[in-house]
Amino acid sequence: MPLLKVENISYSVEVKEETKKQFDILKNVSFEVETGEIIGIAGESGGGKSTLAKVIAGLIKPDTGKITLSSDAKRKKSSPIQILFQNHGEVLNPFRRISNVVDEVLVINKIDKQYIENQRESILSSVGFPKELYNRRGFQLSGGEQQRATLARLLATNPVLLILDEPFSAQDVESQLNLVKLFKKLNKEFQLTMICISHDLNILRNLAKRIIILKDGEVVESGVTNEVFNNPKKDYTKFLLSAEALNLTYEELQASSNQ
Amino acid sequence: MLSVDINSVSILEEEKRRTMLKDIKFDVEEGKVYTILGKNGSGKSTLIKSLTSLLPKGEYETLGKVLFRETELLNCSEETLKEIRKHNIRYVFQDAANSFDPLKKIKYYFDLSNISPLKIEELLLYFLLPSYKKLSGLHSYELSGGMAQRFLIVFALLANPDLLILDEPTSGVDYAVMNLILLKIKNFVRDNDKSVLIVTQDINFALKSSDRIAYLSDGNLTRFYKSDELLNSQDDKVKNFINSFKEISNASA
Repeated sequence: MPLLKVENISYSVEVKEETKKQFDILKNVSFEVETGEIIGIAGESGGGKSTLAKVIAGLIKPDTGKITLSSDAKRKKSSPIQILFQNHGEVLNPFRRISNVVDEVLVINKIDKQYIENQRESILSSVGFPKELYNRRGFQLSGGEQQRATLARLLATNPVLLILDEPFSAQDVESQLNLVKLFKKLNKEFQLTMICISHDLNILRNLAKRIIILKDGEVVESGVTNEVFNNPKKDYTKFLLSAEALNLTYEELQASSNQ
Repeated sequence: MLSVDINSVSILEEEKRRTMLKDIKFDVEEGKVYTILGKNGSGKSTLIKSLTSLLPKGEYETLGKVLFRETELLNCSEETLKEIRKHNIRYVFQDAANSFDPLKKIKYYFDLSNISPLKIEELLLYFLLPSYKKLSGLHSYELSGGMAQRFLIVFALLANPDLLILDEPTSGVDYAVMNLILLKIKNFVRDNDKSVLIVTQDINFALKSSDRIAYLSDGNLTRFYKSDELLNSQDDKVKNFINSFKEISNASA
């Protein structure tokens, strides 16, 4: 039994109230996630990637379809699926100390001063958050530090599945590389299963063994990342790959925008 | 076309001064695309602003010379600077959506340019933007980030400047738009013998778009390398930056 089964998920929103016009954000999306793997979801802006993440985490109820989590992955006190949102800076309370932000979650499991101190230390150090910043408040941190603090808080809930929503955007290449290494380490050390959403194929090639390509709410292609990227079957995947390599001709760009 | 010889750019704080850029020397020739690569906070935006005295006078001090043809830009009248920024050296800043007056419709910017709608339409079409008529009626906040970015480039190109300066042109835009910007920059330089100066952390875009690339870190600028030379640079800081890029690009999971 896979860790997570996503079956025929569809979700649409009403665009105009008067006309009841519907816009389909997700169309019949199905895939499975195995325990311990890192799976990538790629596609352009507006393709439904973030909505899919919210549906999986139970923040949005889909119109049709089913999300099944394997029974031994359930948690009593917190959600077993956590999302590291794109706007992590806004998620972190700017006025609270980081140690406090993490402790608050640990207290849910066990009220024991020594236990909390040890756990806090081990979680924050596992995400590479420097000890001298434990007592800083959210607003006193850089974007990258805020992201790591937010990640630590998520890990404190001891999740089974972590969804990363565009964790690499707006970072320079050295920070991106450090983050890739961190996610790989967490995946290995904690056997933590991850879904990584990104428009950056280059990074997904490095991080995710399997990949799902999403376009206009539909799964266009999926498979082992290397195979999909080295031998893409669908035109859209080919388009994404040459777009990333900045090899598109003007005619190809025009054709894609007229679709 | 442009000859930069800046000794230092400093921030003036209450009692002390903090030097942000030191010994920035380079020349911009016609018909080439130049890129200054650097990480977040390396001073890229400060550098391009210093070129036409855009840094607030009481807060920054720029020592040195910037020659645009015969005019010395660090030591000339505000009127001359304004004329040059209007006709000769155009900027597209990073935070595209915030570069507009939110109370004005796009029509206002079309009118400012003093260029026939037909010619504007041609550029809009090229950048896969909505028509002149449709855009005219919109407010800037009705544009998406990628659209605002493209529109600002259109607006800068309409002035047909000698030098176009782009601050992080690829941040927040998808790959299709990146490709469009790349193609347009190349045509602009090639067909009109103009120049483009880009500051960015996007090494991939830099390698694809530029004839010359330099690296800025800790306030120091390396020389401008030819794109293929940059990858083999022996400078330690450049090597570190390049190696991260290679490592992320070449590994597979």
